[in-house]
Amino acid sequence: MARSQPIAPNVGRLSRSQVSAKRGLFKGKKTSAAPAKPETPAHTEKTVGGKANGEKRLVPTNKASKYYPAEDVRKPRVSRKTPGKTALRSSITPGTVLILLAGRFSGKRVVFLKQLDSGLLLVSGPFKINGVPLRRVSQAYVIATSTKVDISNVTVPETVNDSFFAKAKAAKSTKEGEFFGEGKEKKAFPEEKKSEQKAVDAALLASIKKVDNLAKYLKASWGLSKSDRFHELKF
Amino acid sequence: MHPGTGRLKRQSTFKRFVEVGRVVLVNDGPSAGKLAVIVEIIDHNRALIDGPTTSVPRQAFPYRNLILTPYTLANLPRAAGSGPLKKALEKAGVLEKWEQSGWAKKLAARQTRKNSSDFDRFQVQLAKKSRRDLVRKAYVKEKKASA
Amino acid sequence: MAATRLYTKGRILGHKRGKRNSRPNQSLVQIEGVDSKEAARHYLGKRVAYVYKAKREINGSKVRVIWGRISRPHGNSGAAKAKFRTNLPAKVFGASVRIMLFPSTI
Repeated sequence: MARSQPIAPNVGRLSRSQVSAKRGLFKGKKTSAAPAKPETPAHTEKTVGGKANGEKRLVPTNKASKYYPAEDVRKPRVSRKTPGKTALRSSITPGTVLILLAGRFSGKRVVFLKQLDSGLLLVSGPFKINGVPLRRVSQAYVIATSTKVDISNVTVPETVNDSFFAKAKAAKSTKEGEFFGEGKEKKAFPEEKKSEQKAVDAALLASIKKVDNLAKYLKASWGLSKSDRFHELKF
Repeated sequence: MHPGTGRLKRQSTFKRFVEVGRVVLVNDGPSAGKLAVIVEIIDHNRALIDGPTTSVPRQAFPYRNLILTPYTLANLPRAAGSGPLKKALEKAGVLEKWEQSGWAKKLAARQTRKNSSDFDRFQVQLAKKSRRDLVRKAYVKEKKASA
Repeated sequence: MAATRLYTKGRILGHKRGKRNSRPNQSLVQIEGVDSKEAARHYLGKRVAYVYKAKREINGSKVRVIWGRISRPHGNSGAAKAKFRTNLPAKVFGASVRIMLFPSTI
């Protein structure tokens, strides 16, 4: 439960003391349910000496604590909410030309293809025009322009999903090997990623070519110049 | 000191006056950028303006937010109603004259530039670049021919 | 091509303050080309970076940054309040800062 929903990121709605009053930690410590552990038998059998004791006895594996709280401690309810899909800004639709604002390709104009399950945007330069490969970006780091590229003939293969972009886990190198600079050869770019890129871009390039100057537009990068007032610009 | 007030009027550098029938450009408020006519002078701060053809409601307006245009409706009676004013405006053809003027075209151009998209701006940049190129090449050619 | 500028320039005017007391947990920023409250609202939430150089290297760089965010407009003439991760020191007054264009809403 978010007690202080932020007005803007890092700027909370409530003050520190208001949050503390709402959290109510002074009422007692709260604990939430821990994940289930592999079950251990509640009792174990033990042999007992002495004739009158019946030889065997069930003994609890974990001794019950002598302590129990005199007052009931409230347990917070387990949240059944699951995070929904990130809402896409209305200005971003498939085919929209976006301007990247941060990162390695900042300032570049790229084409938006679709929203991935993680909520990130799948974009392509296309690679041949401006060197931006198939890439994931957050919509917070993007300006949506009113220019659209017709991508009705572009099909994004199923394999291009969030796991497509996951980093391949590097094999653990021995410390000694690392010291001698072994196993540090540059890995070749995976072939299937290359072909995937080409498959997506081929159709994309065809529709870009149909509009005058669009390829030049995507090739050029964007930036503010001296007399530009960002808040008055229309994209 | 000027000799005679009659000549003074002719000598004046001012050509546009606040007067009944003067067409003005509204420069502030919800009807900013529209034409209206001074119908009545209230005092030396405000006038009653009306723009029946440009949907400027009849209202008192301070002079500091009005710009005088070179057009006037001659012989417009004081405090004319919206109906007769509309007729007078259409008869004088003020709106057509205004749209033909360089001033109005400049304002319109400024507006289109403001509303242009990123792609439009890029294409303008390309056009300017090619124009520069042509001019420069022609200039060099002329220079060589004359030398 | 020359590197493109992807931020608006701004200037640190001082801390938020009353007549006698200053409140250094918010700083006042004047954003270039912004001259009305409405225009300043376009920049709310945007990240602000105060970039400076120091003598000692950290992680191989002498350049350091104090990050912040534009929180609200200040007055009617386009100034804005910004909250920085650590309060800006007073020697920053008058220095220029970068108002980044993200998080973007357009």
